[in-house]
Amino acid sequence: MTVANNELEKVIIQSVMEELAKKGLLSHKGKDQVMAAAMMDTPLVPNTESEEMVTFPPQEEMQISNPFNADAVKAMKKLTPARIGIGRAGTRPKTMSLLRFLADHAVAQDAVFLDVSEEFLRRMNLMSVQSAATSKDEFLQRPDLGRRLSEEAVKIVSEKCEKNVQVQILIVDGLSSTAIEANIPDLLPALIQGLKSAGIKVGAPFFVKNGRVWVQDHVASIVNSEVIISLIGERPGLGTAESLSAYMIYRPNENTVEADRTVISNIHKGGIPPAEAGAHLTDVIQQILAAKASGVKLNQQK
Amino acid sequence: MILKAKVYNKIFAFQSLKEVMAKANEEKSGDELVGIAAKSASERVAAKLVLSNLTLEDIYNNPVIPYEEDEVTRAIYDGLNLRIYQEIKSWTVGYLREYILDHKTTGEDLTHISRGLTSEMIAAVAKLMSTMDLVFGSKKMRVQSHCNTTLGVPGTLAFRCQPNHPTDNIEGMLASLKEGLAYGSGDAVIGINPVEDNVETVTRLLDTVKNFMIKWEIPTQNCVLAHVTTQIKAIEKGAPVDLVFQSIAGTQKANDAFGVNAAILDEAFALAQRKGTATGPNLMYFETGQGSEVSLDAHLGVDMMTLEARTYGYARGYHPFMTNNVSGFIGPETIYSGREVIRADLEDLFMGKLHGLPMGIAPCYTNHMKADQNDQEMGTLLCAMAGSNFFMGVPGGDDVMLSYQDTSYHDDASTREILGLRPLPEFEKWLEKMGILAKGKLTERAGDPSIFDK
Amino acid sequence: MPESTNQRITSVGIDIGTTTTQLVISQLTIENTASGTLVPRVEITDKEVIHRSRIYFTPLLDRDLINAVEVSKIVETEYMAAGLTPEMIDTGAVIITGETAKKENAKAIIDALAGFAGDFVVATAGANLEAIYAGKGSGAALYSAQRHQVTVNIDVGGGTSNYAMFHEGKAVDSSCLNVGGHLIEFERQGDRITYISEPAETALKHRGQRLQVGERVTLPQLRPIVKAMAGCVVDVLKTSVHTELTKELLMTPPLQLAHPIRKVMISGGVADYVYALNGPMTMAEVTAFGDFGPLLGWELKVCLERDGFVLEKPEETVRATVIGTGTQSVNLSGSTIHLQENTLPIRNVMVISPFTSLIPETPQSIAEVIKKEILRLQVDRFEGIVAIAMKGPRTMSFANIDILAQGLLLGMHDYLCKAKPLILVVEADCGKVLGQCINASVNKPLEVICIDQLEVDNCDYIDIGKPLMGGRVVPVVLKTLVFNR
Repeated sequence: MTVANNELEKVIIQSVMEELAKKGLLSHKGKDQVMAAAMMDTPLVPNTESEEMVTFPPQEEMQISNPFNADAVKAMKKLTPARIGIGRAGTRPKTMSLLRFLADHAVAQDAVFLDVSEEFLRRMNLMSVQSAATSKDEFLQRPDLGRRLSEEAVKIVSEKCEKNVQVQILIVDGLSSTAIEANIPDLLPALIQGLKSAGIKVGAPFFVKNGRVWVQDHVASIVNSEVIISLIGERPGLGTAESLSAYMIYRPNENTVEADRTVISNIHKGGIPPAEAGAHLTDVIQQILAAKASGVKLNQQK
Repeated sequence: MILKAKVYNKIFAFQSLKEVMAKANEEKSGDELVGIAAKSASERVAAKLVLSNLTLEDIYNNPVIPYEEDEVTRAIYDGLNLRIYQEIKSWTVGYLREYILDHKTTGEDLTHISRGLTSEMIAAVAKLMSTMDLVFGSKKMRVQSHCNTTLGVPGTLAFRCQPNHPTDNIEGMLASLKEGLAYGSGDAVIGINPVEDNVETVTRLLDTVKNFMIKWEIPTQNCVLAHVTTQIKAIEKGAPVDLVFQSIAGTQKANDAFGVNAAILDEAFALAQRKGTATGPNLMYFETGQGSEVSLDAHLGVDMMTLEARTYGYARGYHPFMTNNVSGFIGPETIYSGREVIRADLEDLFMGKLHGLPMGIAPCYTNHMKADQNDQEMGTLLCAMAGSNFFMGVPGGDDVMLSYQDTSYHDDASTREILGLRPLPEFEKWLEKMGILAKGKLTERAGDPSIFDK
Repeated sequence: MPESTNQRITSVGIDIGTTTTQLVISQLTIENTASGTLVPRVEITDKEVIHRSRIYFTPLLDRDLINAVEVSKIVETEYMAAGLTPEMIDTGAVIITGETAKKENAKAIIDALAGFAGDFVVATAGANLEAIYAGKGSGAALYSAQRHQVTVNIDVGGGTSNYAMFHEGKAVDSSCLNVGGHLIEFERQGDRITYISEPAETALKHRGQRLQVGERVTLPQLRPIVKAMAGCVVDVLKTSVHTELTKELLMTPPLQLAHPIRKVMISGGVADYVYALNGPMTMAEVTAFGDFGPLLGWELKVCLERDGFVLEKPEETVRATVIGTGTQSVNLSGSTIHLQENTLPIRNVMVISPFTSLIPETPQSIAEVIKKEILRLQVDRFEGIVAIAMKGPRTMSFANIDILAQGLLLGMHDYLCKAKPLILVVEADCGKVLGQCINASVNKPLEVICIDQLEVDNCDYIDIGKPLMGGRVVPVVLKTLVFNR
């Protein structure tokens, strides 16, 4: 930082700072700090203890300078989650658009590649077992491995899980560990409350790491529940990495096909909120139990 | 046919052409998943070595899937020009590579021999080519097609404006369309992937886009990427369709899974000729991608790259207006990393062009792959240098309906300006009239979707 | 549970105005629009007007009193013409508007129509609501959304001008001015005055002009007074500093003008003269219908254009209000709700909104707030049924939803002892789980109607209809609407 030692420089620095502050690129406190540093003969040290931080401007903010019809741009942005009305620097995106895109992709990648934390599983009191896929890389490249339990998991499930219950709940990381941590704390108690109020016998829920949807068939073959429901992380989009799906099936067997599953997707705070989803899933499971069928077969009975 | 090779002190023996074709591939997770990839770097080179020495006749005589069992194989063999094939059948694959790259060989020469090459021959030679080989070879070939406007005009680069919406909301779709047009995207086609694959939705989207094109006098084509049978029903009911779309693959089994066969495609093409809204003669839009046969469990032990070439062999009989490759969309079990996507995109662009197809590329990626925006942008520039006819145009690069990333409206405009390429001629005139483009560059007014809201 | 993919309901709209009475019958299509694996989302997807009545002169007993029996005969005649019986009407609204609403007619009409207007038709009045229905019926609401431009609809009828301002399809402001085409009456196609209303007297007084019943007037005599009234109509659009006359004629607070206005649509009986190519040239043309509507329309056009407003043509003019009433009065609840009842439909449910800010943290403090509000509104003396309305739980966590459930049960304990149903209306999407939490906490049979995704903040009463789509949703009609105040 050069030290300003004449009046003209002071004025220039001051006006630049004010302009930056006006545009929200520099906080007033930050401005004062920089000014102080520029005016006095002290070096600028980063203030890591400050509460202040850099963050993204609100998404609805107008990014186009001098739009033809600003109301129209604002309205259009409300009509679609697509990244429109974002302006440009030459032909390239503006800095904030670029960084927001990178942030959204980073959040999505973290959801896919990071595991559900041990601390979370302890807090939710969930037993944890693993699929036959031993790493995320293997899980992503070998769909077959994520569809069955590891040998160790088979042993644990056989020994510890209650057999012949009406409903077994599985929590499966799938393609988003973030979805699990974001939704399960509100979804699971609502679902269990609903099922218990309806007098339905529910086995203790547990967690499957590196699992895919079909792992529920393997688990069902061991615990012999009537209905098995997997709450599984969806493949993240850039819009959200928190979306969860529920896959339910009535007594799966080796002839089971995709169409035999009943699916409810888009469970997250921006879709159907997790607690409300828990109550809704209770209804769906009751229908499956009553019809003794799920998926297309259930719909045909309706 | 020699299927054995020695790489320095190691000897590798292969059982079949099919095995050689698979093992000669650059590393891709789909070939690994199926268990047909080379087990070592040396084995990979050995397979390339064996392949380089095979003649085109060897390949002709050993189709990877028998003629009797597979509609795609039949389409490839039945469509072959035997006279040209006879002239070149003694060439080795290694020679074919050098012929393609030779300075004396022109784009016209390549278009000519293309008619005597089966898809497997084209895949084979691409397996011997490095990244720069592929770009160099692709750049020679320029394939033009005409629907309402001409695609592939030298010096141009076109884009499909892809204004998808997660609930098919008409106004929301229009918002993304306006943004795209304001960046100069949409000369290849305005193409929407619907969420709901039914006649009502498809018709509503087609009508909306067509009316918008008429109102603003936009010289381009419209298309809604529903299943071909849905589009057939919509056309029968009078929906305005310029281009008929379908996803296709390289085995009959995979096409069965897509719910499509030659009879259906013939019907669609005939209907587009009789009841479509376009000038033609090219009326079809195909999408393909390495790995779709693997994800449908319909690969029959053949490697992804060879199957992709076969898909082009199947497509060329329909003289499509555009063929778009989306290898990066299929998933990490088939293509895992940014490096794999870029390689696949360049292979596909080259193989498609050598089939005489008007190729475009979507150098895209999904969030469960080890790929990012930098990979996509590298792939885009390489494919543009290799002479891709078009790319996609997605708002901000984020497709909010299909949940994947593809080239953005910004990337479209950037690629044109970096490489000095222009929009298709009629569309450029329109952009100039609208004040969006001047002398090939975006104007101050560009990038503002509200210029359509008076 | 059988689930049809769509259902049709028949809705009636009846508009009883100062001058005219009209009725339309519409068919609303209700559909699940969510695709594939999404939780159902039931919406009104189509509105089709299947019957438009003749435009009747509102039957009057004398100048101030509507002939309710005659009105019910009109309704009966029109049902017959449409081939419908009252039982076939599912929902709708009667709106008593303009000058008639000021008079004590509402009750008589509600009583007279009780038997004719189907099982679930409500009577409602209020200038603001009328204005909004008119703007929706005229197409102004849609126009503002499609063109992304603020649009004001002015429904100019016999007695009043009703303003509704729309921004992106939503009503954001409304107002009512006592100016209409029927404020002075004449012999038909003549020039003799037969009646001068109070607001017309006010206008005359402000202009220092004198006219009397029985007197004959010329066009040059009449024009300035009509021009003055038209000026007041435009005054409300232009500024918040109003002329003395405007101030006197305003029947509600004026428009707040939070958005700049350029586009204006005129509906109502006078509208056709706004969009006419030429103004009336003789007194006979002015008084073709025994009032000065044609002249007011023309002067309004002149005034608006002089002040730079752009007049857009509405889709409906004289029928705008009734079409809006018939097609827009029904709201649907969210599609995941909790119904445990056998009392629907329920009419005239009094809405209580006890929580002005964030919901308290504990069941006890939630209960206290509810009890206080019940005491304040003397709900214990109220014979009818009440609904508790709120934005939602403190947060959308299950724990907070459960706390809210406990608080509601505690706070409503005395009320529920009278064997009344517990009716909850929540804005946030949590109706089903809130109902489930309540159900899990009570140990005796309790009727619970817990519906969500409805904003009833500013309304006094709601009607809740019979469940539709296999119990997925209920139709709800809001009884009054006041903006920003």
